[in-house]
Amino acid sequence: MAVASIAQHDEHQGVDRLYAETRDLRLQGFLLFLVSDIVLFSSFIFAYLYLRNSGQGFPPPGIGRLDVAFAAYNSMVLFGSGCTMHYALENWKHGNFNKYAGCLIATIVLGLMFLGGQGYEYHSLIVNDHVTWSGSGIFGASFFTLTGMHGFHVFVGVCYLSILLLQSVHGVYTKQKFFGLTAGTLYWHFVDVIWVVLFSIFYLI
Amino acid sequence: MQTHEQAELHGGGVADHIHPEPQTFVRKYIFSIDHKIIGLQYIITGFVFFILAGLLAEVIRAQMMHATGGVVDSNTYDEIYSVHGSAMVWLVVIPLLTGGFGNFVFPLQIGARDVAFPWLNMLSFWIFPPAGLMLFASFLMGAPQAGWTEYPPMSLQGQAGTSMWCAAIFLVGVSSTLTGINFLVTILKMRAPGMTFTRMPLFVWAQFATAPLLMIATTALAGALAALFMERQFGVPFFDPTKGGSPVLWQHMFWFYSHPAVYIMILPAFGMISEIFPTFTRKPIFGYKMIAFSSVAIALLGFMVWAHHMFTSGLAPWLQLPFMLLTMVIAIPTGIKIFSWVTTLWGGKIQFTTAMLFAIGFIATFTFGGITGVFLSAVPFDLHAHGTYFIVAHLHYVLVGGSLMGILAGMHYWFPKMSGRMLSEKVGRWTFWLFFIGFNGTFLPMHWQGLMGMPRRVAQYDPQFQGVNQFESYASVVMTIALLLFFYNVLWSLRHGKKAGPNPWGARTLEWQIPSPPHYYNFKHVPTVFAAPYDFAEPLPYTGLEDELTDSPGPQPASSSSS
Repeated sequence: MAVASIAQHDEHQGVDRLYAETRDLRLQGFLLFLVSDIVLFSSFIFAYLYLRNSGQGFPPPGIGRLDVAFAAYNSMVLFGSGCTMHYALENWKHGNFNKYAGCLIATIVLGLMFLGGQGYEYHSLIVNDHVTWSGSGIFGASFFTLTGMHGFHVFVGVCYLSILLLQSVHGVYTKQKFFGLTAGTLYWHFVDVIWVVLFSIFYLI
Repeated sequence: MQTHEQAELHGGGVADHIHPEPQTFVRKYIFSIDHKIIGLQYIITGFVFFILAGLLAEVIRAQMMHATGGVVDSNTYDEIYSVHGSAMVWLVVIPLLTGGFGNFVFPLQIGARDVAFPWLNMLSFWIFPPAGLMLFASFLMGAPQAGWTEYPPMSLQGQAGTSMWCAAIFLVGVSSTLTGINFLVTILKMRAPGMTFTRMPLFVWAQFATAPLLMIATTALAGALAALFMERQFGVPFFDPTKGGSPVLWQHMFWFYSHPAVYIMILPAFGMISEIFPTFTRKPIFGYKMIAFSSVAIALLGFMVWAHHMFTSGLAPWLQLPFMLLTMVIAIPTGIKIFSWVTTLWGGKIQFTTAMLFAIGFIATFTFGGITGVFLSAVPFDLHAHGTYFIVAHLHYVLVGGSLMGILAGMHYWFPKMSGRMLSEKVGRWTFWLFFIGFNGTFLPMHWQGLMGMPRRVAQYDPQFQGVNQFESYASVVMTIALLLFFYNVLWSLRHGKKAGPNPWGARTLEWQIPSPPHYYNFKHVPTVFAAPYDFAEPLPYTGLEDELTDSPGPQPASSSSS
């Protein structure tokens, strides 16, 4: 049994067994939550691609191509935050608290920078190009809904990571018991992966 | 004793961790984290909504008594059948089968002390009653009028209550998704030692096939509902063709959920039937593995057939053929189940208890509904029957004759476990026969009406159908009387029923080896399982249950925290 083998492994590591098994359940539950979140994004991605291919005036008149270069810079910021998050978790596992905190703070800052970049992009689209959520046909509807949903996920992630930072400062997690950090890392990578898909469908194709 | 505890420590897993039993009324019965109480909460709430939605159905039947209608006006009639359908699907059948019976029965059957996330379970439940009230409250602001499917553009032009409908169904969906995640993790991780996948009771297999559907399909519906809500409230164009949107997109998004939802509504009922048949024939179930795997096959195929609801919506012909064929393929795993059940009856010592009567009735009516489903999957026939009473007949044969018969069979089967008392078999027999006759009287003639071209969802109709409609309305009263008898039986038996004892049916799954109703912590010692439960010739395949029916004290919370 997988549960038992993990538990025995951890008993050697000095982690109590109940925690190990509860973590196992939580990890699986969290992964399934991410799967259902992927389905939520997929339904809107399907809607966008379906409407785009149904041949009813795409792209809408008056809307040029999006600013790919800026979005690419912004993507690099988000992907960079994925790297720093990875190192944050690795440093935690190795017990380097200072490096961990530095990487986590860098992740939060990069996340905020991404949100700022997206705000700038929204601003220039709305003010300069007059592209809006409800007034620009299926493009405006899909673009603002999907990137807005993604931005909301980034925002939630930033809040979540900030809470994790506070918790770890207050000693909630130990070198062996850090499921919250694992979940935070998984969530953050999930947000990254969603952005890869959104970037491809809105800026590249 | 010491060795027993040790063995348990190394097998039982998280199940061994016991929280102290709550003492206050609120924590015990209202905001409970006990899966059994939550299951009962779902069942009670589901049946309350069932009564409300059933009253709406009787208004529909009253309206149909005369070709010119006359009970309510056309607008109100549209509201009534829309809310009736939505409520029956989302507030009655799905919560009863998954949240209700799922929560109560399957953790007991896998030998767990609770589900994986008890607090999440409580949250799932408490999202559900407010969402149901929101759906019924939409009558106050003009209820949705485009049927339970709410196709745009009608739903875009609908009254304010349509947005309320979106929000209510979205919330029920969140509740379902959380339940699905919870159940899946529980089944994957919290089975008692020795309970391998091929030793799980078939009701657990059914929940195992249903949970991913709840988790994945419901989230897709949430996307569709959010899009409809945004379009209605903020004018964001997804479905309005004048702004570049597409009404057909809604149909794709809606049916991608709602076809799997059909299997959410039937697979747990299949599971119940698979429990009831071996118990009351005293025979191992025929084709255990085939029944188990066909549930999974149905769940997988369920995701590939959604567009068969859209043959008349301008689907490209090259798409119609694969959807038609895949739909017909679903008849194969379903047929495997039906044949396995019938073969289980063959040569068995059949006891005609009420639960068994409902289970056999289920086979008859569900097979009928399934066969009309194969008719409808054929594109040429569907073009003829789409939007007629034939569809109404088909869906009621699978949802009432299938899911609801399953629920009633399950209620008669598990009521002793839930309450510790037996339902009256005499009243139960009356319930079954009145229900069976009333049901077939109501819905069988609708096939004919549909083939003759009577459209569904109309408040007035061609006078040539008046006679048959009146017959259906009278038959629906018989069905209502049967259900009233059932509710009377439940309420009467709660107080006056015969004491059930742990195992009144002589069933072999784990939930029947412990007292009725079970203790807070379910099992005194987590049992070990050696075989599938259905082999009536063999001794029970469990160890560790010796203390269950004795006075020995159960597990103590204080001692377990040290483990």
